[in-house]
Amino acid sequence: MEIVWSDFSESCPILKECLDSSDLAKETEDTLEYIYEVLWIEIGSFVRSKLAPTFWSCFKHNQTLAKFEKDGGSAEALQQQYKLFTNFVNAVKSLDAYYQFVRTSLEKLDGICQRADHGKSLAKLNELLRSALLSQLPTHFNNVVYSFYSVSFRVFFNLHQSTSMGQDNEDLDESGMPCKGCNQELEKCQCQSLLQTINEVNQKLVDLELLDRLAGQSMTFLVQQRIKEHIKNTCHGIFDRSHLKNLLTWLEDVVICWLMQVFHSKVSADPDAMHTDDGSKSTDVIQSLKVKLTFYVYENYALSVIDQFFSIIIDFPDSIPAIEDLKICMEKINLRRQIINTLKSSLEARILHPGVNTMDILTGYVAAIKAIRYLDSSGVILETVTAPIKEYLRKRSDTVRCVVTSLTETESGPTDLSEELAKGDAVKDGTKGNVNDELSNWENWQPDPFGLDNTVQTRTVKTSRSADIISMVVDIYGSKELFMSEYRNLLADRLLTQLEFNPEKEIRNLELLKLRFGESLLHNCEVMLKDIADSKRINSHIHSDTKYVENKQFDISSLIISAQFWPSFNKESVELPEEIANEFQKYTKSYEEYKGNRTLNWRTVTGKVAISIELGDRVLDMTVAPTQAVIIYHFQNKNEWSLDDLSTLVKIPPSVLRRRMAFWQSHGIIIESQPGIYKLIEDELPKSQLEKLPINEIITEDEDNESAMASASDQREEELQVFWSYIVGMLTNLDSLPIERIHQMLKLFASNGLGVEFTQDDLKDFLQRKVRDHKLIYSGGVYQLAK
Amino acid sequence: MKVTIKSWMGVASWRWIANDENCGICRMSFESTCPECALPGDNCPLVWGVCTHCFHMHCIVKWLNLQTMNKQCPMCRQAWKFNFH
Ligand SMILES: [Zn+2]
Ligand SMILES: [Zn+2]
Ligand SMILES: [Zn+2]
Repeated sequence: MEIVWSDFSESCPILKECLDSSDLAKETEDTLEYIYEVLWIEIGSFVRSKLAPTFWSCFKHNQTLAKFEKDGGSAEALQQQYKLFTNFVNAVKSLDAYYQFVRTSLEKLDGICQRADHGKSLAKLNELLRSALLSQLPTHFNNVVYSFYSVSFRVFFNLHQSTSMGQDNEDLDESGMPCKGCNQELEKCQCQSLLQTINEVNQKLVDLELLDRLAGQSMTFLVQQRIKEHIKNTCHGIFDRSHLKNLLTWLEDVVICWLMQVFHSKVSADPDAMHTDDGSKSTDVIQSLKVKLTFYVYENYALSVIDQFFSIIIDFPDSIPAIEDLKICMEKINLRRQIINTLKSSLEARILHPGVNTMDILTGYVAAIKAIRYLDSSGVILETVTAPIKEYLRKRSDTVRCVVTSLTETESGPTDLSEELAKGDAVKDGTKGNVNDELSNWENWQPDPFGLDNTVQTRTVKTSRSADIISMVVDIYGSKELFMSEYRNLLADRLLTQLEFNPEKEIRNLELLKLRFGESLLHNCEVMLKDIADSKRINSHIHSDTKYVENKQFDISSLIISAQFWPSFNKESVELPEEIANEFQKYTKSYEEYKGNRTLNWRTVTGKVAISIELGDRVLDMTVAPTQAVIIYHFQNKNEWSLDDLSTLVKIPPSVLRRRMAFWQSHGIIIESQPGIYKLIEDELPKSQLEKLPINEIITEDEDNESAMASASDQREEELQVFWSYIVGMLTNLDSLPIERIHQMLKLFASNGLGVEFTQDDLKDFLQRKVRDHKLIYSGGVYQLAK
Repeated sequence: MKVTIKSWMGVASWRWIANDENCGICRMSFESTCPECALPGDNCPLVWGVCTHCFHMHCIVKWLNLQTMNKQCPMCRQAWKFNFH
C-alpha cells in the first residue's frame, strides 16, 4: 500500500495536496470546479502512465496463441502456464489495489467538493481505466489470459469430476501423478485455494467491467478447444451409441457451469443470484454464448462423424446411432456439402483403386447404399456420392459377374445381396411400379433437399426415390437386359461345369430372380433349366433302349441343350478318335429314334470323362476333361507324338494343345522329351512325389476354370476384326504406328458409319492378340506388320 | 498302356432334321419357337407337308385356318397335305 501511495503522490502532487488540505471546501464554486478538472487530468495521466503499464508489464510473452495451445501438452508448457497464471493473478490484484486507492481518493474528493453524483464520477473513472488499458494492449496478452483460464478450467473440471465421480476412483487411477487441476502432488492439492483466487480475480474483472473485453476472446477459444478435445476423447470411433445427448449435458454441466462461475464468481452457490439486477446482464451473455456453443458442439460433432463416415459405412447397421446423431445435426446445420465432399474422397481413397478386388468394392458399394440411405432418404447424397463408384465398377470387366455371383451365391453363406434378393419384396418392373409407389405414398412425400445443384436433383431424384438396393446394384451396369444376359452366361457356365441333372440351387435362384426382374427377361434361363430336366428324362429313356445298351462300349450321358436359348459357345473343339465317335453315333441314333426328326450336334470339348489308365502295374482312375481323355487315348497305340502330328489328328491348334498336354505332364505320365516331342512314360519313375498323391481321386480342374462360353472380350475382338483390313492398310503405308494414332484413325472410320465403338484398351487387347498370332510386331512402343 | 473309358458325360445341342433353317411363315429358326410359344422342341414341333416343306406346326395350322378356299403350302402353292412319317 505504501508503494501505491508513493507512486500516487508522485504522479498527482496537486491531488495529494487537495486531499491533505481541508481548506478546499472554503473555496468558491468556480475555483472548485477548476481544481476538480485539473485533478481529473492528473488522475488520467496516472492511470495512463503508471497503472496501465504496470498492469501490462506482467504480460510479457511472445508466442502466438495457436502455437501456445499446440505446445500445451508438454510438462514444460504446463509449467509455463502455471507461471503465467500467477502473473495474471498478480497483475489483476495490483491493478485492483491501485484502482481501489484511486477510487477511495475520488470518493473523498467528491465529498470535499460536495459532488452529489458520485456514481457518475465512478463511471468516468472506470471508462478512463478501460480506455487506458485497452489502448496499451500488448501483442500477446492473450497467451497470459488464456493460461489463466486454461488453468481455471482445469481446476474447475477437476473439482467437478471428483464431486461427480467420487474420490476413490480418482485415487486409483492417478496415484503418483500430479493433480490434474493444480499440477501439484495430490496430497498437497491446491485446487480449492486456486478456485478461491480464480473467483476473486474474476470478480475483480467483473467489477472493473473488463472481463468481456479482456478475456472474451481467449475464453471462447479455450472453450472451443475443450469442446473439440472432449468430442475426440469421448466419441471417436464409437458409433454404436448416441453421443449427442451426453455432449449437450456435458456442455451444460461443465462448460456453461464454468462460464457461470466466471461471470458470477461471488454467487455460484446461489442460483437465485442470477436473477438479481447485476446477474441479469451476464446471464444474457451466457445465454447467447450457450446458443453459440451448442451449435459449435453440433457442428464439430457432425464433422467428426462425417470424417469417420467410411468406418460407419463398414459398421452398418451397428453404426445406426451415429447416423441418427448426424441426422439431428443436419437438421440444425447445412452439412450436405461437407458430407458429399468428404464421403466422395474417402470412398475414392479406400476402395476405388486397382488393389481392391471387385467383390470388395461391391460390398463397399452396398454398405454405402445402406448407410447413406439411412442418413438421407431423398437419395440425392447417395446418388452424388456413389456415382464415381458406379463409374469405376462399370469399367471393371468382372463386375456383372460378381454381382450375379453375390446375388445368387449361397454356398459361402448369404451375402448382403443374396439376402436382399431373398427378401423378395420385388420392385415391379420399371417405371410403372415407381409411379404407383409414389402415388400411394403421397402422404409421406417430402420435398427434395435444398442445397445442391439443380442439375443433380432433377436427374437423380426420380430414379432413386423408390429404387431398392438390388436395382441400384444392377443399375451400375446401366440396364437390366445387360445384367440378365450376363446372368445367362454365368448360369450356362455353372450348368456346364456341374454337369448334373438336379440343379436345384439354380432353379431356386432363377425363381428369386424372376420375382425380382420379371419372367420375360429370364425366359432363356428358364428354357436352359428345362433343358437340364428334359435331358434327364431323355437319358433314362436312352439307357433303357435295349438295342443301344447291348451295343455300347461305355456309358454316355448327355446334357441336350436348346442352343438358341443358350449363350454361344467359344470355338474350341476336339476331333474324337473313331471308336469313341462311333459310341456317340450310337447314342445319337437312339436319340433320333426317340425324338423323331431331330438329331444331335455334339459339343465334344465340353463334359467330363471317367477313365481308367493301366500303366505298368499301376491302375489310375481319373475324371478328366474330354480333350485330356482324347489325348491320352491316342498314346495307347503310339507312345511318342510330335505336337504337330497330334495337333493335326485331334484338330486342336498347337498352342492350345501344348497347354492341354501340361495336364498329363504334371501327372508324370507324359514328358516332353525334346521340344515339340511328347513321350509316354510307361515304366514307373523312381518313386516320385507325384505317386504319393491320391491321383485317382483328382478331378482335374485345369479346364473347368475356363468358360465354355465366348467371353465378352472375345466378342469385342470379333467386332474389332472389321477394322483389321484398315489396320493392315495403315501399317503398309505408314510402316509403324503407336496405338494412339491407330486408335485415332480408326475412330475416324468408325464415325464414318462402321458403327463400332471401342476404347483404346479394347484396341490394345486386339492388337496384342495379333502380336501373339505373329501378324504384328510390337517394339519400341509402335506396331508394325510382321514381314 | 491301356486306357478304358468308363463313362462319358457329354454336351450336345439338338436340332430338327429339316431342309431349311427357318420357318417360312414366322421366319424364326426351327429350333426356336413360333411366335405363340415359349418352349421349343416338343412344345412347338415341326410338321412336314408332302411337298417336303416344313413349318412350325402352330404356324402352318394358323396359316391354313386363314385360307378359306384351297389350303396351299405357303412356299410352293401346292395343295397342303401333312406328311406324317
Ligand atoms: Zn413358324
Ligand atoms: Zn408354337
Ligand atoms: Zn411346299
